[in-house]
Amino acid sequence: MKGTIAVARKELLSYFFAPMAYIVIAAFLLMNGFIFSVIMTALSQPGASMASPLGLFFGGSLFFWLFVIVTVPAITMKLGAEERKTGTMETLLTAPVSDFGVVAGKYLAAMGLYLACWVPTLLYVWVLTRFSQVDWGPVVGGYLGVLLLGAFFIAIGLFTSLAARNQLVAAITAFAILILLLCVSILGFMVTDPLWKGILEYVDLWSIVQNFSKGLVDSRSIVYLLSGTGLFLALSYEAIEAGRFSR
Amino acid sequence: MIEASRLAKRFGTVHAVKDVSFKVAKGEVVGFLGPNGAGKTTTIRMVTGYLQPTEGEAFVNGQSVLDAPMETRRNIGYLPENNPLYEELRVREYFGFRAALKGVPRKMRRKRISEVAGMTETGDVLEKIIGSCSKGYRQRIGLADALLADPPLLILDEPTVGLDPAQIVRTRDLIKSLAAQHTVILSTHILPEVEAICSRALIIHHGALLYDGRVEDLGRNLSAGETLVCRVMGEPAAVEGCLSKIPGVERVEKLDETDGRSWFRLLVPKGDSVREAIFWSLAEARLPLLEMSTSRVSLEEAFLSLTTDEDEPKGGEKEVFA
Repeated sequence: MKGTIAVARKELLSYFFAPMAYIVIAAFLLMNGFIFSVIMTALSQPGASMASPLGLFFGGSLFFWLFVIVTVPAITMKLGAEERKTGTMETLLTAPVSDFGVVAGKYLAAMGLYLACWVPTLLYVWVLTRFSQVDWGPVVGGYLGVLLLGAFFIAIGLFTSLAARNQLVAAITAFAILILLLCVSILGFMVTDPLWKGILEYVDLWSIVQNFSKGLVDSRSIVYLLSGTGLFLALSYEAIEAGRFSR
Repeated sequence: MIEASRLAKRFGTVHAVKDVSFKVAKGEVVGFLGPNGAGKTTTIRMVTGYLQPTEGEAFVNGQSVLDAPMETRRNIGYLPENNPLYEELRVREYFGFRAALKGVPRKMRRKRISEVAGMTETGDVLEKIIGSCSKGYRQRIGLADALLADPPLLILDEPTVGLDPAQIVRTRDLIKSLAAQHTVILSTHILPEVEAICSRALIIHHGALLYDGRVEDLGRNLSAGETLVCRVMGEPAAVEGCLSKIPGVERVEKLDETDGRSWFRLLVPKGDSVREAIFWSLAEARLPLLEMSTSRVSLEEAFLSLTTDEDEPKGGEKEVFA
C-alpha cells in the first residue's frame, strides 16, 4: 500500500514536472471550452431544441469522444513504455513493492491527471447555474460517466504502455483499441440477430455514455465499465509478470 | 547470505546463463568478473528477482527470491547496469521516492537522505534535476539509492563505468569502506577493480562459471609450473643452447638483447632444484647469470587464459608480458 502511494506520487510529480500534464490539460480545456461555447451559442438561437446543454456536452457529441480518445493515450503512453526504454523499470521492480502495487500506483496517477483535466469543466456548470435552471440529473450522471469511462480507458492505456517498449507504439495501440470499442456501436445498427443485438447493445459505449448524460444511470453499464477496468488492470499486471521472463 | 543454485536462463534459443551455482557468505566482497556479454547481468538480475530463472533458484538470507520477493528485495541494495534514473526529477525528489518505496519511515527519510548524500558526495546536487547532472554524479546518485534503506547486501553492476580516474578511485574507496558492514557483489570487467576491492572472484564466461576462489589464487592455480626471467651475459645463442639442455626447463624464449646481455623467459616446474641447475649449468659454461626472478602470472593473464577459447588466438598475451 505504501509502495502504491509512493509510485502514484512519483508518477504525478513526473507528469507535472515534464510539460506533459500542462500540454494535455491545456489542449483538453481549449477544445472543451470551444465546444461548450458552440453548444451554448447553438442552444440560445431562437427555435433551438430544449436539449440540456450539459447533456450535449457529456457524450452528446462526437467531440466528447474525440477528447477522451486523444487524451487518454497521451496520458498513459509513458507510464510503462518509458520505464522499459530507459531501464528504470529494473530499479522499480527490484524495490520492495509488489507488481500489483506498481500497477495500482501508476493507474491512480493517470486517473488523477485525467480527472484534473475535467475538474475545470465544473466552471461550466457554475456558469449555467448563474443563468438558468440546472437539471442536476444529467450533471451528476455526466460526471459519473466521465469517471467510469475514464477508469476503463485509462486501464486500457496502462496495459498497452506496460506491454510496449516504445511510447508511440503504446499510444497507437491504445488508440486502436479505443476506436474498436466505439465501432461496436456502429455494428449494433447493422446486426439483426436479436441475441447479438442484445450483446452489442450491452457493450455499446456510445449509448451508455449518452444515457449517463441524460441522467439515466443503468447498473448494467456500471458493471460493464468496471469489469472492463478490472480486466485491463489484470492484463497490466500480467504484462509486468511477462517482462520477468524476457530481456 | 546469497546462494545461487543451478541458475539457468534461456532467451528463446540463446542460453544466456547455464547452470551457475555459487554461495556468498555474510561480509564477503566478491568480484563477479567476465567479458561483456558473459552472463553477469543476467545472473545478477535473477538474484535480485528482476528476471525469473528458466531453471534453478536463488536465495537471499535463506529465503527464495521467488517465494519471498518482498523480504529478499528489502535485503538488497541494487545498482543496475547503466544506472537508470528518472531524468525529470530533482535528486532530492528521487531519493524521497526511492526511500518511500523502500519503506524508510517518513520521519527518518530526510536524515537518511542527507547521510547517504554525504557518503556518496552528492549533497551539492540534491536540488538539481537528474537529467542535468554529470555522469559522475549520476553514478553516485545510483549508488546512493542502493544505500538508502541501509540493506545488508549490496549488488553493484559495473559501478565505475564512465567515471574519470579520480572518481573511480573515490568510488572504489567508498565501496571498500562499505565492505566493512556489508556483503558486496561487484560485477565488472575491469580486473584491477577486483584486485583492489575484492577478496574473492567469480569468473563467468559464455554463461558458465569458470572460476570461484580467492583473488590471489587466481594466477597461482593457472599452471603447475612457474615462469622465470633470467638475465645472462654472453653470446645469446650459446646461452639459449645451454639453457635448453637443462632437464626440467620446458620452454626457452629470448626476450631482449643489449650489450652482450640477454633476457630469457623460461617455463619451469615449481621448486628450487631447477634454479640450482640453471645456476650451475651457466656457471660451467662460463656465462655469468646476472639476474633471475619469478614472473608472477598477472590477473589479466589468468583471466585471459580462462576466458579465451582454445581455438581463438590468444590475443593480448604479448601486451601482458610487455
